[in-house]
Amino acid sequence: MTGLGLPRRIIKETQRLLAEPVPGITARPDDANARYFHVVVAGPSESPYEGGTFNLELFLPEEYPMSAPKVRFMTKIYHPNIDKLGRICLDILKDKWSPALQIRTVLLSIQALLSAPNPDDPLANDVAEQWKSNEAKAIEFARQWTRQYAMNNQTPQPSF
Amino acid sequence: MGNCLKAQSADDISLLRGSETQDGNDQALGPPPPYQERVAPRAPIYYPSPNVSRPANLLTEDEQVKIAKRLGLIVHLPCGVYDGCSKKGKECAICMCDFVMGESLRFLPCMHTYHKDCIDDWLMRSFTCPSCMEPVDAALLTSYETS
Repeated sequence: MTGLGLPRRIIKETQRLLAEPVPGITARPDDANARYFHVVVAGPSESPYEGGTFNLELFLPEEYPMSAPKVRFMTKIYHPNIDKLGRICLDILKDKWSPALQIRTVLLSIQALLSAPNPDDPLANDVAEQWKSNEAKAIEFARQWTRQYAMNNQTPQPSF
Repeated sequence: MGNCLKAQSADDISLLRGSETQDGNDQALGPPPPYQERVAPRAPIYYPSPNVSRPANLLTEDEQVKIAKRLGLIVHLPCGVYDGCSKKGKECAICMCDFVMGESLRFLPCMHTYHKDCIDDWLMRSFTCPSCMEPVDAALLTSYETS
């Protein structure tokens, strides 16, 4: 039922993710849909997201790995490259996708994006403006949102 | 009047049914008759870019040229059969399955190797090597120049 017609690659990736998880990230396939993953990313240390746990959803489309996974933050986050719907501006999820990339590499890239926000390629314009005009204040907002939305939120649920 | 119409439509239905059944039988025995293609036209889907899919009849002129070029270039890329020699790696980075003796492989100019079907599917979307992201056509030209 669940795994019927599931490409070998998805089965392999899932097994490897569960056997050797990425540090700071958990990815668990949904019980009812093996192409849908519940992801939890820990805010990287020395970033304004430190101490927070961010819930994401990751979906492998029919065309995967010829097209990129669809990933979205479910937890609200103050970040110039993530908008209020949780959509992520990341080149490898768009035009720089390659079928040699994997769920693991995508999640590592998202973790890296939290450590290194890029306000010059914004998705959330207001956040990016704040980041460029007053970075210290932007970082304080990010910390505040992390405390407010990404702590004590262990049950995955949409926060908007 | 009513009866006439009824009789006519019944005739039409039986005719249609008759031909359908026959077509169904033909299909089971051999290739589908051209009649079926006209009834359900299905243009092949192409991917001018990895995130853009379009049936062949809806491609823009630029996209048609792009795809024609790719088709022309792909046939020039060397391919072969896996002979158990693992010096070029033994897993296809696209399907993540190990190469099996006798499977068709394709060798890109950057020396990366994939299953022929896996890489051809990708090259029709983006003419880059999935592993090193090197544009395949540029590499192809370089290898022509040096040879």
